[in-house]
Amino acid sequence: MNDFRLPSSVSRPPPPITRHLSPSLAPALLVAPLVVGLLAFAVYPLLYLLVLSASKSLLGKPFQAWVGIANYREALANQTFLASLLRSVGFALPVTIIEVILGLAIALLLQRSIRGGQIVRTLILLPLMTPPVMVAVAWKLILSPVGGLLNMVLVSLHLTNTPVSVLGSSTWAFPSIAIADAWQWTPFVILLIFAALQAQPVDIQQAAIVDGASPWQLFRDVTLPMLMPALLAIGLIRFIMALKLFDLVYALTQGGPGFDTTVGSFYIYRIALEQFNVGSAAAMTVIFGLFVSLVTLPVVMLRDWSLRRWS
Amino acid sequence: MSSATTTARSLVAIDSPQERTRRLPGLSRLLRWLALGLVLLFFLAPIAYLALVSLKPQPEVLSGQLLPSRIAWENWPNAFASVEVLLFLRNSVIVAALSAALTMLIATPATYAMVRFGAGGSLLRSVVLSSYVAPPIVAVIPLFYLLKWGQLIDTLPGLAIVHGLANLPVAVWLLDSFVREVPRDIEEASWVDGAGRIGTLTSIVLPLIVPGLVAVAIICIILSYNEFLFALVLTYRPQTQTLPVGIALFQGDRLVQFGQMAAASLTGMIPVYIVALFFQRGLIRGLTSGAVK
Repeated sequence: MNDFRLPSSVSRPPPPITRHLSPSLAPALLVAPLVVGLLAFAVYPLLYLLVLSASKSLLGKPFQAWVGIANYREALANQTFLASLLRSVGFALPVTIIEVILGLAIALLLQRSIRGGQIVRTLILLPLMTPPVMVAVAWKLILSPVGGLLNMVLVSLHLTNTPVSVLGSSTWAFPSIAIADAWQWTPFVILLIFAALQAQPVDIQQAAIVDGASPWQLFRDVTLPMLMPALLAIGLIRFIMALKLFDLVYALTQGGPGFDTTVGSFYIYRIALEQFNVGSAAAMTVIFGLFVSLVTLPVVMLRDWSLRRWS
Repeated sequence: MSSATTTARSLVAIDSPQERTRRLPGLSRLLRWLALGLVLLFFLAPIAYLALVSLKPQPEVLSGQLLPSRIAWENWPNAFASVEVLLFLRNSVIVAALSAALTMLIATPATYAMVRFGAGGSLLRSVVLSSYVAPPIVAVIPLFYLLKWGQLIDTLPGLAIVHGLANLPVAVWLLDSFVREVPRDIEEASWVDGAGRIGTLTSIVLPLIVPGLVAVAIICIILSYNEFLFALVLTYRPQTQTLPVGIALFQGDRLVQFGQMAAASLTGMIPVYIVALFFQRGLIRGLTSGAVK
């Protein structure tokens, strides 16, 4: 699910205040439904996957035989699968960096233009709220070799005579998905960075201006360092979300051309729901989950380090 | 140069330092508006293009003509005839409403207990966090079997439960900052007066965080309305499929007419856009509140 954001782990709960209250079961009662929900949605799937991954299982006929670690061995020898994992990171990392840089630039622009900024902040909610499948439809129409906006522009500028199939090209298919993704999610980054900018103490900025700092110096030496923890936190959220990429691939390229845009989620989906081999898919999912945690870890550490360094 | 007087004055004293500083803001304001215009163009053009295609006759789409020679309104009724947009829309709305209700019912009391009484401790917090980090593909297959076992597979309540649980981490973390903002003194006063924990929650805390509850509920509704992977795997009849699934299957058809596809897609987008523009303040606040504490 394309969730909107991840909390910063910075905020710890304040110490519980119970001195007016007798010990009670109330807190436990209040969290009990959440615990049940998480058991069903997080704990149970994990356990089920582990068991499933040790079995020969088809979607309609699971648990036909126990096979030990054969599914894992097979997955780790499967070049297409391993390549799809790398492709997930190869997509998520550049997309995150582009969106944060673009988002920072636009947020600074909005901050400096009060009236126009308000309108833009409202209108950029639209891409953010668009269902990803419809985002894909819009971009598919723009990029289509037949009647697409891009080709109309290219032809009218005499850059090409024959229509270009961007989504069918090994070179351009992934960048196209990245553009559609940036179209949807840069607004989110803008809103978060804008909020972080608003939260910055004004007096330090003013002191720097009084001291004669140029706009560039102000940005480089004051604004950016203070913003760094927020930027890394926002980057982390987007990185985690971009690793989940599925909808755009499904609706724009179906993983093609060839396997060129087949990311981890999409490959596992095909193994499980098109080839019905859920045993293999379960092993791949476990590996994918570990892989995601492993690549997320450095980003988390970078964010925590920046928090210590700058705040 | 924005006005004639400035031009005239700058002709008189071109190199006076005051003039230079006065001219610069004019230019930079112009550049700023230009940049804002480009930003808006990038973010609105795809939506505008979709609207344009939805009103274009099919031959003109194929011939690559930008502006249609006539407005092809027929794309809209034709789209409704070739794909069951309204049925999908109904399913989406039911699932989104039910799932958001479920999410809020579970997340609100839990967040309160976690913030105020430290319920669940750091273990609960880290499970919430990691269930957010895990890609949804992890949960798809196990939930498929769970719903099958509970005879909820391919049903609207089944999908609503899955969406409701999937959105729990986001809801908990969004609500967290709203609950935290409630002044503790008020709660302590209520306890001193003899109201219990749950009584204080329902009569003091909840009324104070209504705007936050509305914002988070709307975000959960939109997340469910937009969700694709679970809906794709856990439903397979038009009677249960949501709009993104219906549109995705429709647009995968090679013979599909672009105008109809655009019309069907817009039908699914307009409701979220109305909600987004109507609740924009709450939405922006909900999305950003405490995001970068």
